[in-house]
Amino acid sequence: MRRRRPLPRSEGPWAWLAAGSVALSLLMLTALLLLIAVRGLAHFWPATVVQIEMQDGRLLAGQAVRELPLEEGHGNERLYFTGNRDLDGEIWHWLPVDAIASVERPPELTVLERRHHGRFIGRLIAVGDAGTIDGNHAQQAVWTRLEARLAALEQLRGERERLRREVLRPLIRRLDANPNDADAQLALVEANARVYDLQLAMRGEVALLESVDGRRLRQPLEEVLRAWRPNAMSLPQKLAAWAGGVWRFLAEGPRDGNTAGGVWPAIFGTVLMVLLMSLLVTPFGVLAAVYLNEVAHQGRWTNLVRIAVRNLAGVPSIVYGVFGLGVFVYGIGSSLDEWFFSDSLPSPTFGTGGLLWASLTLALLTLPVVIVATEEGLARIPVEQREGALALGATRFETLARVVLPMAVPAMLTGVILAVARAAGEVAPLLLVGVAKLAPQVPVDGEFPFLHLERKFMHLGYHIYDTAFHGSDVQAAMPLVFASALLLVLVILVLNLTAIFLRHHFRVRHGVQPRP
Amino acid sequence: MIEPSPVSSSPRRAWRRQRDRLATALIMAGGIGVIGAVLAIGVFLVWEVLPALLGGVLEPSQIRTTLTPMAWGTLKAAFWAMAFAKPLALGAAIHSSLFMSQRLRSRMKPTLEMMEAFPGVVIGFVAGLLLAPWVERHLAGSLALLLVLPLGVLLAAEAWRRLPAAGRRHLPLTWAGLWLMPWLALLTWLTLAFSPGVESLLFGGNLREWLDAELGIDYATRNAMIVGLAMGIAVMPSVYALAEDALSGVPSRLGEGAHALGATRWQTLWRVVLPAAAPGIFAAVMIGAGRAVGETMIVLMASGNTAVMSLSPLEGMRTMAAGIAVELPEAVPGSEAYLLLLLAALLLFLFTFLVNTLAEVVRSRLRRRYRWLGGSP
Amino acid sequence: MTLPSRFQPSPGSIIDFPPEASCFQIEGLGLSYSGKPALRGLSLRVPRHRVTAFIGPSGCGKSTLLRALNRLHDLNEEVSYEGKIRLEGEDIHAPEVAVDELRRRVGMVFQVPNPFPMSIYDNVAFGLRLQGGLTRRRMDDIVEWALNAAALWDEVKDRLRASAWSLSGGQQQRLVIARSLAVRPEVLLLDEPASALDPISTLKIEELIRSLKSQLTLILVTHNMQQAARVSDYTAFLQDGELVEYAPTDTLFTNPSLRRTENYITGRMA
Repeated sequence: MRRRRPLPRSEGPWAWLAAGSVALSLLMLTALLLLIAVRGLAHFWPATVVQIEMQDGRLLAGQAVRELPLEEGHGNERLYFTGNRDLDGEIWHWLPVDAIASVERPPELTVLERRHHGRFIGRLIAVGDAGTIDGNHAQQAVWTRLEARLAALEQLRGERERLRREVLRPLIRRLDANPNDADAQLALVEANARVYDLQLAMRGEVALLESVDGRRLRQPLEEVLRAWRPNAMSLPQKLAAWAGGVWRFLAEGPRDGNTAGGVWPAIFGTVLMVLLMSLLVTPFGVLAAVYLNEVAHQGRWTNLVRIAVRNLAGVPSIVYGVFGLGVFVYGIGSSLDEWFFSDSLPSPTFGTGGLLWASLTLALLTLPVVIVATEEGLARIPVEQREGALALGATRFETLARVVLPMAVPAMLTGVILAVARAAGEVAPLLLVGVAKLAPQVPVDGEFPFLHLERKFMHLGYHIYDTAFHGSDVQAAMPLVFASALLLVLVILVLNLTAIFLRHHFRVRHGVQPRP
Repeated sequence: MIEPSPVSSSPRRAWRRQRDRLATALIMAGGIGVIGAVLAIGVFLVWEVLPALLGGVLEPSQIRTTLTPMAWGTLKAAFWAMAFAKPLALGAAIHSSLFMSQRLRSRMKPTLEMMEAFPGVVIGFVAGLLLAPWVERHLAGSLALLLVLPLGVLLAAEAWRRLPAAGRRHLPLTWAGLWLMPWLALLTWLTLAFSPGVESLLFGGNLREWLDAELGIDYATRNAMIVGLAMGIAVMPSVYALAEDALSGVPSRLGEGAHALGATRWQTLWRVVLPAAAPGIFAAVMIGAGRAVGETMIVLMASGNTAVMSLSPLEGMRTMAAGIAVELPEAVPGSEAYLLLLLAALLLFLFTFLVNTLAEVVRSRLRRRYRWLGGSP
Repeated sequence: MTLPSRFQPSPGSIIDFPPEASCFQIEGLGLSYSGKPALRGLSLRVPRHRVTAFIGPSGCGKSTLLRALNRLHDLNEEVSYEGKIRLEGEDIHAPEVAVDELRRRVGMVFQVPNPFPMSIYDNVAFGLRLQGGLTRRRMDDIVEWALNAAALWDEVKDRLRASAWSLSGGQQQRLVIARSLAVRPEVLLLDEPASALDPISTLKIEELIRSLKSQLTLILVTHNMQQAARVSDYTAFLQDGELVEYAPTDTLFTNPSLRRTENYITGRMA
């Protein structure tokens, strides 16, 4: 009889709302990822520069950033990035859209990336020696000359860096070891002279620049990092410039109060800290898991401890930060200072936040993750494998070391990768135990003991927080923050994907064993 | 063919046994040491705070004036986070465990679970610097979205019911999670496009000023609603993952029994599956709340950090986690401010630890019950 | 040798091997899991270089008995013993007995083939490496010998480096036997070694068991009475943790002396 009843045509409103919440969640997550990806990557694109003529006759050149409705009533206003801090005193202009008379894209508009005052946007008039420069040259010839000069400067800079790295520093180290080394002193003087010559060769040339409203500027060429004419670039050229921008972002240090340049020290600091942390967390996490699963008497107490360790994964990271500050920094660190670094007191060495304490704190924070993952892996190994080894006369340790642990390696790896992914994104405890806004010295260098555990370091996540909330010009730093955020998200996603892949691989491998 | 002789010299045997004993002892010592270190966190906080509390260094009145606003802010932020995360996460869990096609589910689940690791600092940055000013500008539209989106889903359901069978086959409910997305995106766009007109019609062009003038409601750019939304996104994946596990772990026999009696899937869910999985869902919500209570970076970046105590979701607050992050580096060790912040940390620790233990106990009971009912564990 | 009277099994069920012909001597063995008895007052002697089968309904304690013989129960902390098990006259629970050495002397093959996730060669060499002190050549020789003894050499000699998990179920089980033989055990315990295999593989395992008894003592637990009849020289029938009857296989299956045994082997179980 039941068959004849008409099947319900729909599941009713609640089922649809449930479906809607899936759609909405996915939509929000997609929007978030897209937003970060687009804003993060677009920054490096050589955007079109426009020349704007206002109705009152003013002339401006810049890149449109965004548009908002005007506060009072009708129409929009548009934000332009106009650069030229040295000429205008500011780099942003809000312009009412209605007041714009015309917008053009002259191909000769040039953007210069400079070491000081940020970008210049305007026209290039001439390139030449500071004394004899004049303004009567063909546009194309001047641009070619500028490109050639910049390439030459780049080479000189590279040569200077090479000298510093390969000649000067080893000499200085030799002199440090033996101040009376006459050869070294002589060589040092010579090398210094060569560096000085290089410096001289770089100096002396200027570019004559003109803003669109006709103000002129002499820009020493050695201050110019790069120059491009976005309106005259072809698509492949733009792509190449974009790739170069991404590369510089990854490889260079920050400039201009973190509003320009790259995030290399932050990447380095993050990776180094995470590396140290995983070196700490892996052996200890595995040890604790092996103890809990293989050695400890399996009773009520072990179970309680297991639950407690599991729950520590849910304790807020800031609490770990408090622990790190109270125990590592103020407790252990201060004692270390008193015993070993008393000559530099009252300025603390280990008694303040630093790389070591940050790594230790994060290791503690991620220990539960590794313990839980490893324990799961150990528990999943069939008991026949252990008994097989024991029945061959293996001791308990041999069974563990030769059969059980090798089989649990993928689970351990999964745990460590998850721990790394968690640690890489964790910022709150670092606020307390040793991150720095701007660390001039990377914690690794050629000076003994090469790895400076007591130093503060830069961190990608903290870099995002600090630049976005404590920067001098948030508007200017925003694109870089997006790029850093994208980088951080990508790193964490890749780590998580690896962990998922490993776990899957592990399950498949153990499922594949024929059970006839 | 060579017959092997029975093996192993006796010194080697003794050495192996020695090594076994030594290794076991080392593992034991190391394991206990590590576990001790992990558990030391609670001990440290109690050790530092308790003498001060008992010795009268911290006065109750002082504790009250400092900690009450922060505790209030913490609860308020967690409440709004859960207000956003709970319906989304549970709805998504119900849909994906009961209705969704297996193929979509096997991809969506890891995707959403991966979002659990989305760094809080990024969400906080987007919420604090982009979302907050944007919502402030589009206040009417954003509030309208809360109403329009659910209605839009229901509208879609009604339209689907009236679709010919062929059309329904092309847009099955099992894939609704995907094909509703463009519809919702369109609705969002429409709402935002039309809201200024409605706003000027109803509220004289500016809802914010209207709220202030007519109802006396203050609007802070970085407020509890923004924090709730941001933290909701952060917490949603973990609540979803746990609730999904609880729901899909319900032995299929139970559901099939109800289906055989002619119940729709939704009726089955409501009468049979949900009651069976209720403890697991409760645990999922608890764990989510625990995470929301301790989340630092999002609150720090999106809440404005003002220690106001108000019920209004349109005003900011300061939470304990954010307070610790901001003030502790400057506090002198041993001073009153330092001890108060440590007390806040202890409270956070105790709260999350208890909540998680409770959730864990509930979950393990539930697993046992499922096993007893004959489902997969 | 006289046994305490209260452990004396029912009349007709004891076969008296002279102690010098028996390898295991079990006297009044009792075993309980966290207080619940699994074996009670069990006494029997296992003859050397013969195949002895333990049969009985599931839960009768035959596997428990087998695992007691190489102290595999030691892993479980809730197990307690009474009575004595002697291997070649030596009490296996004596404090001076090293359990790993005991397990080397008393090898074991399990119901489910359990090769380690390593190559075929490494599986066989696993026990040898634990003992140590072997040259590479000698190791190769012993591996070859063990695989030959387990009638597997011809099938795997070209792929010794392949993963053991790539073998079929029957091959895996023979590999596990080869692995046990490589460390030269005196006794090999087989816990339903063929129950997870297809008929042809089962046949091969049974042949192998018969061929091995010239070299060592074999004890076989099986729920398959035909198998016990085909393979074993002596059969012990266990029920509810007690030894019911123990006799030469032919006698037990053709002319059991007790009604309980007869009921079981003719399939008239209550």
